[in-house]
Amino acid sequence: MKSIKELDELREKIKQEMSAREQSHEVIITVNMGTCGIAAGARDIVKTLLEELKERGLNEVALTQTACDGIHKYEPVLEVKKGTEKTTYVNVNPDKTREIVRKHLVEGEVVKEWTTPAE
Amino acid sequence: MEELSQHILDLAYNSLEAGATCIEITIREDTAANVLEIIVRDNGRGMAREDVPRVLDPFFTTKDRKRVGLGIPLLQEAVDRCDGFFEIEAQPLVGVTVRALFPHNHLDRAPLGDISGAISVLLAGNRSLNLTYKHHYNGQTFCFETGEFKNMLGDIPIHRPDIMVWLEKHLAREIANLREAEKNEEHQRTG
Repeated sequence: MKSIKELDELREKIKQEMSAREQSHEVIITVNMGTCGIAAGARDIVKTLLEELKERGLNEVALTQTACDGIHKYEPVLEVKKGTEKTTYVNVNPDKTREIVRKHLVEGEVVKEWTTPAE
Repeated sequence: MEELSQHILDLAYNSLEAGATCIEITIREDTAANVLEIIVRDNGRGMAREDVPRVLDPFFTTKDRKRVGLGIPLLQEAVDRCDGFFEIEAQPLVGVTVRALFPHNHLDRAPLGDISGAISVLLAGNRSLNLTYKHHYNGQTFCFETGEFKNMLGDIPIHRPDIMVWLEKHLAREIANLREAEKNEEHQRTG
């Protein structure tokens, strides 16, 4: 079976990486998967996140989900927690998600224009 | 919701909110009988039988947070739109089983959509969930179980993005094969 062989190769690659790198879970990304979130496209946001994190080799980033319904007009909502610093991005889409991974996670720069207004 | 897979994802999060550790998703497609059936079964804390009619009410919720429970009414609406059948079986402490049956060829039936994406997304955020996915298509069956997959992974955590991206593609391929197998056979027969 082709795909199982693929998985074996992937496992070997990851094992080498894991032993070479120290585990760090300092970055946590949370996406709201309540009914409103799902209806607004939260599944595709998480899918895009997974792909982008994989592409950039950020496989240690922790991904969590909440199922509490937030404010409908802000969905999909994505939250990035880096240490004690927390940023909430609203009305994200797959393109914005890729950009957030690139700017915020790779370059360490918050994409201010997509965050909630600070009151 | 544009796809049935989004409803399935929503049901799964209801299960998780109810404390489920095991979720079983079954999809049965029988084109000759014109049936597409979805069953989501969990081992969460369940609910009292008398509460079952109430979850169809968008303003009823058993959740602690002040949330309006729209998920079930939306699914029922999707079922009713194409004269399907909808049922919730619940018992306190045992869990809940939601069953939705659609006429396969009904024009107003939402497509199943990205079910492989739904599964990988669900697992990415819920690494300890025991998920069983069974997809029957005209007598053929594809089955995926997290327990078996975790055994194959050994000490590699299941929720890693690279693993999840692989799993999503694997499931998409397997499910497409399942649903295409019959058509391919027909092509071969005709030449």
